[in-house]
Formats: sequence, C-alpha cells, structure tokens
Amino acid sequence: MKVPVRWLKDLVPVEMSSEEIAQRLTMAGLEAEGIEKIGIDWDKIYVGTVLKVDQHPDADRLVLATIRAGEIEQTVVTGAPNIEAGQKVAFAQLGARLVDPYSEEPKMMTLKANKIRGVRSEGMACSEKELGLSDEHEGILILDEDAPEGAPLRDHLGEDVIEFEITPNLVHAFSMVGIARELGALAATSVTFPDLTDLSVAEDTPQLVDIQAPDLCYRYVGVVIENVHVEPSPSWMQRRLNAAGVRPINNIVDITNYVMLEWGQPLHAFDRTDLAEGRIVVRRATDGEQMETLDHVHRKLTSDDLVIADAERPVAIAGVMGGVDSEISDDTTTLLLESASFNMLSIRHTAREQKLRTEASSRFERGLDPNLAMTAARRATALIKQLCPNATVTEIADQYPAPREQKTVVMPRSEIKRLLGVDFPDDQVIGVLQRLELSPKHVENDGQPGIQVSVPTYRNDINLKADVVEEVARVIGYESLPETLPVGQTAPVMIDPVLEFVRGIQDSLSAAGMNEVITYPMLDDAELGLLNPDGDEMPAQLGLARRPDIPFVKAMNPLRSEWRQMRPTMLPAILRNVAENLKYNPLVSVFETGRVYLPEGIDQLPDERRTLCAAIAGTFNPADLHEHAREADFFDLSGILAQLFEEIGAKNVELRQGSHPSMHPGRAAEIVADNTVIGIAGELHPIVAEQFEIDRNQRVAIAEIDLPLLMELGVEKFAYRPVSRYQPVQQDFAIVVDEATPAGSVQRVLENATQPMSTSVQLFDVYRGESIGEGNKSLAFRVTLAAPDRALQDKDIDKIRKRVEKQLKQQVKGALRS
Amino acid sequence: MSQDLDQLKQEALDRLQTVSSEDELGAWHRDFLGRQGKVTTAMRGISELPAEERPGFGQAVNALRNELQQAFDQTQDKVLAASLQSRLESEQVDVTLPGRKPIPGTLHPVTRMIREITRVFGLMGFQTVEGPEVEDAYYAFDALNIPQDHPARDVWDTIFIESDQREIVLRPHTSPMQIRTMEQIEPPVRVVVPGRCYRYEALDATHEWHFHQIEGLAVDTNITMTDLKGTLAEFARQIFGQERKVRFRCDYFPFVEPGVDFAIDCMFCEGSGCRVCSGTGWIELLGAGMVHPNVLRYVGYDPDVYSGWAFGMGIERIVMLKYGIEDIRHFYQGDVRFLSQFNRVLA
Repeated sequence: MKVPVRWLKDLVPVEMSSEEIAQRLTMAGLEAEGIEKIGIDWDKIYVGTVLKVDQHPDADRLVLATIRAGEIEQTVVTGAPNIEAGQKVAFAQLGARLVDPYSEEPKMMTLKANKIRGVRSEGMACSEKELGLSDEHEGILILDEDAPEGAPLRDHLGEDVIEFEITPNLVHAFSMVGIARELGALAATSVTFPDLTDLSVAEDTPQLVDIQAPDLCYRYVGVVIENVHVEPSPSWMQRRLNAAGVRPINNIVDITNYVMLEWGQPLHAFDRTDLAEGRIVVRRATDGEQMETLDHVHRKLTSDDLVIADAERPVAIAGVMGGVDSEISDDTTTLLLESASFNMLSIRHTAREQKLRTEASSRFERGLDPNLAMTAARRATALIKQLCPNATVTEIADQYPAPREQKTVVMPRSEIKRLLGVDFPDDQVIGVLQRLELSPKHVENDGQPGIQVSVPTYRNDINLKADVVEEVARVIGYESLPETLPVGQTAPVMIDPVLEFVRGIQDSLSAAGMNEVITYPMLDDAELGLLNPDGDEMPAQLGLARRPDIPFVKAMNPLRSEWRQMRPTMLPAILRNVAENLKYNPLVSVFETGRVYLPEGIDQLPDERRTLCAAIAGTFNPADLHEHAREADFFDLSGILAQLFEEIGAKNVELRQGSHPSMHPGRAAEIVADNTVIGIAGELHPIVAEQFEIDRNQRVAIAEIDLPLLMELGVEKFAYRPVSRYQPVQQDFAIVVDEATPAGSVQRVLENATQPMSTSVQLFDVYRGESIGEGNKSLAFRVTLAAPDRALQDKDIDKIRKRVEKQLKQQVKGALRS
Repeated sequence: MSQDLDQLKQEALDRLQTVSSEDELGAWHRDFLGRQGKVTTAMRGISELPAEERPGFGQAVNALRNELQQAFDQTQDKVLAASLQSRLESEQVDVTLPGRKPIPGTLHPVTRMIREITRVFGLMGFQTVEGPEVEDAYYAFDALNIPQDHPARDVWDTIFIESDQREIVLRPHTSPMQIRTMEQIEPPVRVVVPGRCYRYEALDATHEWHFHQIEGLAVDTNITMTDLKGTLAEFARQIFGQERKVRFRCDYFPFVEPGVDFAIDCMFCEGSGCRVCSGTGWIELLGAGMVHPNVLRYVGYDPDVYSGWAFGMGIERIVMLKYGIEDIRHFYQGDVRFLSQFNRVLA
C-alpha cells in the first residue's frame, strides 16, 4: 500500500522524517518496501505567477505567457489551452530536468531554450506528466491560488510516498487511518480523524436494500444522494489519489476511492436511475448468470458468487467490481452509494475464480469490520457534500442483521514472561495497550493477576492471549529482548541412520574425485522417452523404477511443461548434466544423492526413495606432464563404486553382467545384494547418448542405486581384524576357466577358499592363448596371506592351494595352471 | 715368504687406488679379501712352512688382512659418498613443475551449508530429521493454522500435485515437519529439518522455484522468545562471524505468534548501508516466532503448558550471502566450473 507522508501527517501529526516513520512501522510489523520521493529531482522548478498571456504573433494555437517566480521573470511559448493570467503554475527554468511527455518509455530530458515560430521560449509551464505526477498532458498543472510564488515547487508539491507491505493479518492497517493509528500508538501521538456526516437525520428507507444472502453479506449501507454534479475532482484530491497509485476519474468515483484509501472500506456508487426499481438486492448469482463488469469483460457467474442486483439483474459482483450498466457517468445526478461488508472467503473465492483481484477484493478477502461500513458511508457523504454543495441525502438503508460486538481477551499477567522470557513494568504494558485502543483493565484470572483487553472490531487479528503478548512486544520493540539459550532437559539423542548413510556416500564419492550436483527432481514424459534407444516410447525399465501400473506423480501447475513430472529415475537429470558439462570440461565426474518419486496410487503420497546416481565421462589427464591421457570408461565408475561399497561396509554387494534398455548391451551390470537388484551400472547406449545430445562416440559410464535397499541388504557391521605380526606371504594363482565365466565369480571363490588367511586378493592379468585351450581364459591373481598367530609354513600354503583347487573345480569349473 | 706378503700388500693397495665405483670395489674385495681372494690363498700356504715359522707367518697374514680391510673400508666410504653425490646431482628437478594431483571432488555448496548449520544446531542439542517433499495440504497448511481459502495461503505460491480427493502439494516450506515431528514425539522437542522446497515462482537471480530450507523447532515447558533470539544469534555468529549484531522485527507467519523476522547487521558494509542490504544496514535471514497456540493444539500439546519456537530459512540465501554468490540459478545449473570451486576443507 502506498502511503503519501503528507496525508499521513495530516492524520497523525508526528515530528518524524519519512525514513523514521518507515523504520518505526517496519519494526512493528508493517514492512516498508521503499520510499518514493516525488519531486526530489525538481531542480530549477518554482511556483510561478502568470502575469499576462499574449497571442503568439505567428501561430494561432500558441500563446506567449509571462511568468514571474520571485526574482525571475520570463516569457514562455506554450500551447496549453488552460493557461490564464493570474494563475499559479509550475515554472521550469532552463536547465530543469523534466519527463519527456512525448516519449513512450519514461525518459528524462533537460529543458533548453528554443525558438518556437520565431519567438524564444525561456522556460516552461509544466504539465503533470512533465513533472512525473501523472499522465495528464492536455494542459498545464494549475496550482492552488495560495501557493507561495517563488518557492521551489519541491517544497510546495513534493511528496514522499512510503510503500508498505500489508501482511494478511493486518487488514486494520490497510488504510491511511489504520496506518495513522499504528504510528500514533508507536509515537504516542493521537490520531485526528476526518470529518464525518451524521446520516441519522436522513430518512430511513429499509426497502432500499434487501439482503437475501445474510451468510455472505453481513451489512449493507445504501445511501441515496440527489443533485450531485459529476466533474473532475479538485486538484488536492487528484494529487493524493495519484500519489497513492489510484487514477482519478471523476469526483464521485474519486471520492469512493479516496474513502477506501483513507478508511480501508471499499465503496461503490451506482447511478440510481440505472437500477430497476431504484433498489438493491444482495443475492447469490444464479448458475450461469452473466454480467459485464467495468473492465468490459462479460463474466459468467455461479451460485457460489455473491452479486449486488437491482430488482432485475446483477449490477455488480459483490466486493470485486461494479457493472457497466449502472456506472457513474457525466450525466449522473442521483446516486446510490454502497458501503457493505461481505464474507471474506466468498469474496476471495469469486475473485480467484474470475481471476479479478481488485483494490476492493484484496481488502474484503482479509475480513473487513462491518462496523466500518457506516463510518465510510458517512465520510463519503461528507466529501460529496463538500464537493457538490447542492447534494442532499434523501434516503438511507442500513441492513445489519447481526451487529458485530467487541471481543474481550484476558491475558494472565505472567503470559508475557512465559512467552517472551522477559517482563515489562505494569505501567508500560498498560500504556501500550491503551495507545492501541485496547482499553486494558486489571482483572483476576483463575486467582492470578491478569489484564483484560476489549478488542475494537476492526482488530480481527487479536483473539488469543498470545496475540496480546505480541501487541505489547511489537510496540515496546523486540530490540529490547535479551539473548538467552534454552534451559531444561534436551531431547534424547537420536541420529538418523539414513542421513548418516547418505552423508557417508557423499563423503566417499567426493573423496573419489566426484562433484556432487543437485538437480531438479522433475522432468517430462519426453525425457523418459529419450532413455529408449528404440524410439520415443518410454522404455520398459526406467532406471530402477517399478510399478509401471500406476501413473507417475505429476504437478498440476508446473512452471514449465518440462517440470511436470516427479522423476521416477535420476538418469535423465544426470545425463543432461553430463551433456552440458562436457561442453566446457574434459572430464565430468558427478553424482547426486537425491530422491526418486515412485507413485503409490492416486491420492497417496509417493514413495520418495533416496537414490544415488553417478556418472563419469571424458578424458583423464587430458594434458598432464606425468600421465598419459586416457578415456574414462565403465571401470572408472565400477572402481569408484567398489571403493564406495568397501568404505560403507557393503561387502555383499556385487556387480553381475546385466542388461538395461538405456545401456550398452555389452557393458551393463546389475548391482546385486542378497540376490536383489539394487542398482544398475553401465556405459550408456550410444543412441541414448545421442538423444541426450552427447556424441555417440563419447563413452558415458553411469550408475543408479536405490539407497534404502543398499543400506538394508548390503551393509555389514564393521569387523576389526588384528594385523598379523608375522611376515605375509604372497602367492600367485593362475586360474583357467571358460571364457564365459565372470571374473567376479572366480574372485569370490578365491576369496572364500583362502579365508581366513587372505588379506588381499587382486586380479592382475587376463591371458588368452593356445597353451590354455580355445574358449578359455587364464586369470592371474595375487593373494596376500598371513596368519595372526604364526609364520605360514610351506605346508600351510599347500593346504590352501589344495582348497583353492578343489573349490575352483566345484564352483566355476576352473583349474590351477601348473 | 714375507717378501711375497709385502708384494701382495703393495699390489692390493695399488689397485685400491684405482677403484672408483661400487662394482670395482666389489671386485677388489673379491680378489683380495674374498673366500678365493689372494690373502686367503696366502694363508693356505701356511701348511707348507716349517712349524717354527708358522706362527709368525700367520700373524703377518692376519695383520695384512686387517690392514687391507681398513684400507678397503676407507675407500668404500669415499666411493659410496662420491656415488651418492653424483646421484643426487643427476636427480635434480624443477620443483616448480606441476605435481601429481589427485582428482578433486566436491560437495555441493548447499550440502556443505546444511552440514554446517545442522552441526551448529547439533551442538545446541538439535536433532536433524527429514521429511517428505510431496506433502499433504493438511501438513503444509491446515495444521499450520493456514485454513483453506484463507488469504494467508496465497503467501505461498504453491505447486499442486494431481490428485482426486485429497489435496497434495509440493511442500512450499519445511514447516510441515513441525507437525509431523510433534505428532510423533512428546516434548522436549528440538529438531532441525533441512530439505527441498518448491514454489510457483518465476526463476531469476534471487528466486528459485526449487530451493532448500532448514526448519528449526524447540518445544518444552519453558521455551521463550529470548531463547529464540539467543539461539539464532549463536547460529548467525557461527556462520557469519562473532562480531555480528542481530535484530528482531515484528512479522507475520500464520503458524507463529508472536512472529518475527530475524536479521543480522550487514557484513558487507558493517551496517552502514550498501547495495546488498538495500541501504538498510540489515540483512534479513529468516522468519521465526513462538509456535502458535492453534498449532500446538493441532498436535495435542497443551498450549498453556508447553511453549515453543520455530524458524525457517532459505539455505541458498545463506550460502549466497556467505560467499558473495550473485545468482541463485548457479546452484541447480550443475556447472562443474561453479561446483568445483567449493573444495575448501575449511569453509
């Protein structure tokens, strides 16, 4: 809300700068978002008197005006139709900075002397637009007669406008009067309320207004005023409206807006002659009922919407916008002024459905005080009488079936200390509550001292004792609170094992040279299709995602269509990351420990599964003094994963030859724990790479692992093993197996057969050749052996070799090479 | 015979003079003092001597052996020293050549900051817990004292999930975990909740539709607003420096009452006013307040017995302020050139 400071100070005469006002109110809960300083750049612009106006010798539509501003007297050439001798105007000297009135975009210009049709113009009488006050450029700005000639215009017309953010709880401060009340309470200064007309003298004609939906309309004040004369409103009112961001239209509409800004109560004026039977019916719209609103949009309504109707048809959407049929026009002489109070939820609903947020609806939907309706009607009537001296109030109806009463709230005296941790002296607390017009009284409450407040009906934010504590705290100021730390018992220590697990994985992978990324967890169907090398169809298996029977989790209102679907796999996000990073980096090695969102069914929260996705692509040592460049491949990733599994104690996890639609058919693995597939790893299928805009010849190694399964099935408790004091023995085993036998299986056999003596089993060579027979391969392992309690003897080694030989034969049809 | 020994001695010493390498040293030792060496051979000649000459000859040979051994040791020291010297000279390198670096990995700056913040709160007795991102509107709003159709609900520009009967949202804040936590345990409660949040918000340099928050919640019989101020001050000083001043101002969040905004004095201008703090001297870090009595009632805590406070902050903003990062979009564009900068062991 824009608050012109001069206007505010008329209501509450504080001796404070705009900055101080903004600061004080901000600290108390009304956040100032900025201060606009109208006129701050008005240099060389003064209040001038037009001494005489002569016809331009060579142009019919131009005049020569002689203007005096104190010491200065100049002749200016102007085409302004409204200039007259004797007027006070805004006179700009040469060199003044003005808004260029002919520019589409806001643009400043410097005023220079120029000849217009042969006559030199030494300055300018400014329009509102040139001064940046409004878009008005038909004529020049005419100042009030008592404006002090020669004074800088800034002093006379300059204005600071503070923009406040009004949080949803602060409807009572959504007006000039409301902000004046707040400032008055903070600065201990009384508010001067504007003049109100006493309407009780007018004839009471209840048949003027019929409320048929009392659940949605709490009060309707209708005032009929005759003999109004519609014309532009006076400059002071227009200036205030402009400063507050409301465009002036005519005196009647301006008054309704002015009162809304002043008191927070939206008003509407109907031309009464346009109302069938001259009366108002407040009712629900019928389903499908239509009307055209002031913005010239045809609106279709439902029975959830409240309308203001006459005897025949809707003439306004209640609390949102009036209709064109009964709009105030230049010919209007009799009007019906509406000041009403509506159900906040209903107004909000309608404004949302109609996508029509107005100044009025934004106030109503916060819950306006029905008692304010009469105040605002009286204020508007006073202003109409002020601007149209012939106007008379002829009829009035005040339908108010259930008048709202004041609430009382009792706050135990100890509550301030209990919630804030500090207390304040009694007279300070009482003083603050008095300044807030809460009429505090000492009372007894369950035998304890308490303070009872009577809450004015405009304060719908004070209902509980905590609300009263807040009032005290915010006016005294939170600056005064000391800093303490909580005392008392701490909660029992519980460390979330899953978070620790994820942390361990992040540490292990970053120590292995990977960069952690965090990607958007949303994607679109098309991206899932890209995981399929065979076409646009989504592949049967997405990463690890199961339950293809249930539709994926989708957002109703994503910011972009490509962020519609909660991901069932992290592969697309990481692949996109790899594609992008390969453009700028020789090697990309990234991982994310995020979530995938597996649907559980409609109206069910999805299974948010923590998932690891890691990828490596590019060139190691692209330009290195010591090492040769080398392309990253599957084994770089599988090596990092092996290291990870070791570090997290995932001993039972193994890679098996596998297949996955997105992977290279010969370079894909299943990650298995306890006979359950917990992940996939492999090199990306070249066509899938291409579909993610990665060169098909670029190897991309990528893995996705379900972390809950890894944690549940794979991880073993850490078991310490004493270091043998005896010299370890290294034994090499060359093992011949069928080409199809995975090395991992042979390694397992060797590891098991050499337990508990082996401390390391390392495959160091794979050999194929005639000597071992076609279709075979020879795997060479180096095994380090040691016993905890003695030096190993030849007979120990022999025993181990025999066991190895036997188990190899039994389990992988392997033989030791002699 | 002694003449022969003198000759042998002279021969040995002469040859030793010429020795300049470890190989020659070994050969010399083998030729003279080794098992088949000339001195050993000479000693074998003793058997051919008359008995009375044998002791004298034996002594002479042993003396020769000792003398030669000494000479050998000296030469050996010299030769080894010289060879070491020449090796050291030949192995000189340019130490300014690049070393063999391990490939550096990094944690995401948001992960780092979550760890840093949860560690600080951990030291103050707060457990770290996490919760669902796809959330029931009951937890995201209703139970937080933000009823359906209340204008306060508009403060959160929410992304909704397709559903039939039940209103499901992408959580716009981590606050639902206040409710979930209190539903599960009895006071005392002290938790911090990091996690992803989502809002229907256009992306620009300071706004992300996908971002992280940390929620904090403390509930017990004796929890006050000054505790909130002290705890947050402790946090702010750990992250932004011990000299930070802190400020509360009144603010509104439906699930707290009283509600405050927590700010620190601007570390870029030391509070004198600059671009970062919009000239105010203060940087607003987070919203907080005393848990609203309605919220306590929702989870079955008696608001007359228990009090508590809660806060919620955007993590990206904290990281941006701490490191002077100018654009929030860097966090999720995933550019390794951005991410790999966060490799400092000490933040």
